[in-house]
Amino acid sequence: MGKILEVKDVKKAFGNLRALDGVTLNVDDKTVTILIGPNGSGKTTLLNVITGFLKPDQGQIRFGSADITGRSPQEVYSAGIARTFQIPAMFGNLTTLENLVVAEKNHPGESLTRSFIKRLWVKRERDAVEKASKILQLLGLSEQMDKPASFLSGGQMKLVEIGRALMSDATLYLLDEPVSGVNPTLAHEIFARILNLREQYGITFLIVEHRLDIALKYVDYVNAMVSGRLIAAGPPKEVISDPKVIEAYLGA
Amino acid sequence: MALADQAILFTVDLLALFSVYLIIDIGLNIQQGVTGIPNFGILFAVAGGAYVTAGLSTRLALVILGIQTNLDPISQNVSVLQLVNSVLGSRPTMAISLFILFLAIGGVAGAIMGLIAAAPAVRLREDYLAITLLAFGEILNVIGEGYTPLLGGPPGVDLPDVLAWAGQYRFYAASFVLLVVAIAVYVLAGYIIKTPFGRTLKAIRDNETVARAVGKNITHYRTASIMFGSLLCGMAGSLWALYSGAMTPTLARFDWTFLPWLMILIGGMGTNRGALVGTAIVVSLNKLITYYKYAFIGILPFDIIWLNYLLLGIITILILIYRPQGIVSETAMRRKQGEKAISKPS
Repeated sequence: MGKILEVKDVKKAFGNLRALDGVTLNVDDKTVTILIGPNGSGKTTLLNVITGFLKPDQGQIRFGSADITGRSPQEVYSAGIARTFQIPAMFGNLTTLENLVVAEKNHPGESLTRSFIKRLWVKRERDAVEKASKILQLLGLSEQMDKPASFLSGGQMKLVEIGRALMSDATLYLLDEPVSGVNPTLAHEIFARILNLREQYGITFLIVEHRLDIALKYVDYVNAMVSGRLIAAGPPKEVISDPKVIEAYLGA
Repeated sequence: MALADQAILFTVDLLALFSVYLIIDIGLNIQQGVTGIPNFGILFAVAGGAYVTAGLSTRLALVILGIQTNLDPISQNVSVLQLVNSVLGSRPTMAISLFILFLAIGGVAGAIMGLIAAAPAVRLREDYLAITLLAFGEILNVIGEGYTPLLGGPPGVDLPDVLAWAGQYRFYAASFVLLVVAIAVYVLAGYIIKTPFGRTLKAIRDNETVARAVGKNITHYRTASIMFGSLLCGMAGSLWALYSGAMTPTLARFDWTFLPWLMILIGGMGTNRGALVGTAIVVSLNKLITYYKYAFIGILPFDIIWLNYLLLGIITILILIYRPQGIVSETAMRRKQGEKAISKPS
């Protein structure tokens, strides 16, 4: 199995706070990897640095064979990395379906000049709607398709976020706490669907999550961060029995 | 004059004003309502369209109609226009072509003004963006007053009468033409809002961070939105200059920024229909207040010229407190559409 993402000695400071203090981390192709760590250990900062929302002070990030260090969010997105956010973020006045369709890459109808000529984009639009409908069905959201996204429940919004990320045809998905605030049944369902997606599309997930009781059953690898550094990485059993991880995160 | 005639004149005059404001409001709605750019500087685009049209129209008419004269088109504006208008009166096709040309010039001028205002400001966060755009509002009045080749300074200039051929029906023809342009803009903007381009603008408005995460170039779309909205505002300015037949560098922020904002506030942002409803209400109200305020001379403890400001100001506050989403709510409209779609058997 090859590496799809390589983070090498990445540093990022906010003033005196060293949020990332030389993180080195690898994600293998077609795996589900979870990133754990106490609050403030730099997990979300790492996602922000990988996806271009923040520029690293130092270090290198490679995606496949490409160097994506310091690229803009658009460039990272078109390279094939999609992400979700910790607090579910919707385009509230767009419908659930539109929330997905809007994520379609390089849609010709998105150009002001080309949007005047319907013929240039209507077929692409139809394909995108079809793709989005399929994803919504897969996520069990077909019923909510035409509702404005602001009317969805918190759990449904989490699913829509994942669905929107799936529209990108990305090969790597960075999910920030996909099941926080979601009831256990739905949380298990979300992880089961993540595995399903991995099988179906051969894609890779890097997931930040605190709900280990749920997540551990489903993941291949666990990475543990403390104070902006990676302290352990490996299969779930190994990492959660690591004394350093127990001390810093899990508690006795 | 009979009362019926008076009512007709009042309505026809109102329609012209309504058309100009409808175009501006659609342009403003695209920026504020659809994209979430609080453009308090639309006066810049409106005045850009109006002043550039006023400054260029007589000169261009001379060249295009092939009129030879030693008179200066700005300082001897009235005499030059006598020559121009006598030709336009007998050549309706030429006059209409010129009208379309002037309209296009106004639109381009507006779009350029929009770009000038947007370029430094578009990277700022919403609140700072608003302040920066507000500052742009009255720059053109200062330029218009000081730079005489544009409008001849404070006295202003007259414009060619592109409807001279309509003779005794000119007054009606003017309102009709304006209304036709406004309806065309309404249909066009309604279409654009529904395209994937419009959808992306709304996505940026609803959540800028997520829009970036799904690969949208925010600066690019904001600039496109400001330019498109400003193009419409510039066209409206051009129409207003041609309709008025004269232009002085005095377009005011109250008339051309505050009133349009009030219109989209009352009508509801994000939809064309909201812009339409708001425009109809405020244009009528403002006109009625202006028409009847003289009845209050001596009754009110202040000068009646403040009545428009006062009443419209009160309405603004009431709307913001009791119906901040406006009369036509985008979300409610969406939900209704959604329910309809769900109840449909698939």
